[in-house]
Amino acid sequence: MTAQEARLCGLLLREHFGEVVEKIGTHLLRSGAQNLRTIVNESGTPIDLVKKSLCVLMKHGACRFSIGRKGPGSPVEYQASCERILGILRYPRYIYTAKTLYSDTGELIIEELLQRGHMTMSSIVKMVADRLTHNMEEGRSIEYNEVVSTFSKLVETHFLQRCPPVSEVVPPVSTAPTVPGAPAAPVSTGPPTPESFSDCYLVPSVSLAGRGKRRRSGEDVVLDQGTTKKAKTDLQTHGDEGIYWQVNFERFHLHFRDQTIISAVASKLDQAWESLGTSRFDSDYETSSEIVRTMLRMSEVTTTPSASCTQALSANEVFRSLPANYSISRPILDQYLTLLVDDPMEFVGKTGDSGGGMYVVNLHKALTNLARATLESVVQEKFGSRSARIFRLLLRKRHLEQKQVEDFAMIPAKEAKDMLYTLMSENLVLLQELPKTPDHAPSRTFYLYTVNQLATARMLLQHCYKAVANLIDRRLFQTKESKRLLEKSQRIEAIMASLQASGAEPEQLTEVEEMISAPEKQQLESLRHHINKLDSAENQVDETIFLLKSYVASTARITR
Amino acid sequence: MADAKVKKECDPADAAVIENRIKELCIQFPQGITDQVIQNDMPHLEPTQRAMVINKLLSVGQLDLLRNSSGLLYRMKDAQSASKMKGSDNQEKLVYQIIEDAGNKGIWTRDMRFKSNLPLTEVNKILKNLESKKLIKAVKSVAASKKKVYMLYNVQPDRSVTGGAWYSDQDFESEFVEVLNQQCFKFLQSKAEVARDSKQSPMIQRNSSFATSHEVWKYICELGISKVDLSMEDIETILNTLIYDGKVEMTIIAAKEGTVGSVDGQMKLFRGVNPIIQPTGLVKTPCGLCPVFDECHEGGEISPSRCIYMTEWLNF
Repeated sequence: MTAQEARLCGLLLREHFGEVVEKIGTHLLRSGAQNLRTIVNESGTPIDLVKKSLCVLMKHGACRFSIGRKGPGSPVEYQASCERILGILRYPRYIYTAKTLYSDTGELIIEELLQRGHMTMSSIVKMVADRLTHNMEEGRSIEYNEVVSTFSKLVETHFLQRCPPVSEVVPPVSTAPTVPGAPAAPVSTGPPTPESFSDCYLVPSVSLAGRGKRRRSGEDVVLDQGTTKKAKTDLQTHGDEGIYWQVNFERFHLHFRDQTIISAVASKLDQAWESLGTSRFDSDYETSSEIVRTMLRMSEVTTTPSASCTQALSANEVFRSLPANYSISRPILDQYLTLLVDDPMEFVGKTGDSGGGMYVVNLHKALTNLARATLESVVQEKFGSRSARIFRLLLRKRHLEQKQVEDFAMIPAKEAKDMLYTLMSENLVLLQELPKTPDHAPSRTFYLYTVNQLATARMLLQHCYKAVANLIDRRLFQTKESKRLLEKSQRIEAIMASLQASGAEPEQLTEVEEMISAPEKQQLESLRHHINKLDSAENQVDETIFLLKSYVASTARITR
Repeated sequence: MADAKVKKECDPADAAVIENRIKELCIQFPQGITDQVIQNDMPHLEPTQRAMVINKLLSVGQLDLLRNSSGLLYRMKDAQSASKMKGSDNQEKLVYQIIEDAGNKGIWTRDMRFKSNLPLTEVNKILKNLESKKLIKAVKSVAASKKKVYMLYNVQPDRSVTGGAWYSDQDFESEFVEVLNQQCFKFLQSKAEVARDSKQSPMIQRNSSFATSHEVWKYICELGISKVDLSMEDIETILNTLIYDGKVEMTIIAAKEGTVGSVDGQMKLFRGVNPIIQPTGLVKTPCGLCPVFDECHEGGEISPSRCIYMTEWLNF
């Protein structure tokens, strides 16, 4: 874990769980595995606060506990997972994906689970049904069964999974009744992975009947309070107690990866439908990406997450599995597949001729190419297209002397030198010395410029972390600056709401509304605009983070 | 000196007779005569005497000494170059000779000094002289802007000196290269668009989006944007820069010998392609492009909360 990652983790923890959790979390991240007593001593926090913080972290999977290193009987040690904390950054994307795949119900299920770490199925279903009902028109409500079916679909597609059971459950801490055995000592050594349990994708049969309940209009506006109150008072059993569910981040990441590959294929090989003004679903215009999408979908189940390419699929199978509205003939499909194989990006490879040709999607190669394109795009945007030309040239030709760079890139010597040195000072280009004699005399030495893609990707990843942390910092600063204004507008909104509820005169309402002056309103508007911009920028940078991280991880798997 | 020796050792009238005879022989054999020919013609002549006469002729610049496989060869110097050098002294002739030998590659003053064994000031004086007579010219080399090379006035400088089509007055014409780069890309792009709009099967679409380097070359020649004649290799260098720009792909196919645009039975095909990704998320933020990114720390002189780039971007 690097300093940038630690800083970002701290910021994320503070934003989502408050300052105490941030303190404990960053402390754990910095010092590695520690037992409760050490944490209390070193962080100087009261023990009950430490316990609560650990509970929160544990509930969100950001912290693991294991038996002490000093053998049986030694105190349990806690360890924070940087990976998982950084995952918080990607929450909006998970929720958005769930929405596109499984509509509002899916969105709410994922959202609730992400907010709470893990829950039982029955409580999720109830909560989601209530929220859905609340947003519907008066007099309508949603059946629990509908939510249950979406939930089962999410489990079937492995987007949700059961939490691994904790083998020995000590009576839970009184402050957090839903956490199964937070400070418990597991018998097994090493962290259990959810996939290692056979029934991790098994939906229990629950007895849930009824509809989502509408909250009474006079109830508190804050939604969460209403639902948690209900959860506490709701004491009837549904037959799934003790089975907790969590979001399967791995599966989401695989989905993101596939989407990235598909969109890359689309922009490379399919015609730009935006510019042609045709509809997105016009079958003529994005057949290549649809073929890759089909291949990836077919291999979702058969390919292990760490494989460098998908299981081979025959052209016949692909043809049968294409969506029904794609009315392309077999020879055309073969042509498309040949084009995909011929493409220098090598997204798709051919492994054999049986069954009309066996094809695979080269996941690792695709990620490598995408990461390379990302690096190139960074250089292009930051240093201009001519520097990008030099950078691409070096990526293609590996090692070049300065003179060769000038000649190949057709850039005047002076400018080329300048660009190369700038790129070198940014650590994007490396200089390799190759002395002809052992004395390293400059006149008898070759100076070769080169680019190391993996190292550069790692460096840019760190840049991304820093950039996101900067954006969050700026957002917090921006909010702090106009804290007074925000509080005022919140107060006024509350007054308005209560007045409206009590059926006040329209004049009264406008009077209250005018308490915020026009310039203040403008200021609020621009603040909202700024916050939105910063938020969306965070998500965009996270896309880069995801791509680079997948590439680094995939390369590590290949070389291992 | 040679003159004096001749006079001392043999009868001057006799020498003049031999001289004339040798000149006649040279005119008789314009491709040159060897020692053997002279010997056959004048068997009574002693080798020392012969050498004297020939040395004299060489020193006044009427004969040329050449070397071929069978030995030394004498040839009449053509009247033109002899007349050019009229009124020049030996040193000038020597320098001229050296420059002439250098051909279209030219020669540097330093090398000239070594070859001629003359002091630098002398060489410079002679060069100035010759230049004013329009016998030689100075050409600036692209390899080193300070370095001047000399060559005969009517010689076309070599590519290695001028840098080929991409240089004018030893300056790299980057605008010219950029214009060509854009034009080539435009050509390939329009070709790809036509192929796309043809609504044919994907394979045909792809194949018709390819253009050979010869086609691109012809297009550029017909456009007439270039004042200099560009060769097909020149255009291929331009197309290569497009590859490094990530805008073009190249494939090599085998072609029948003699097909237009094929080189060594290979044909290079180029086609315009779309990028695989849009600019990545990082560079859409001010931090991705920030020149002082490394110096930026919370609470420091440069910090995210006081970042002017961020403020500008937010107010945009």
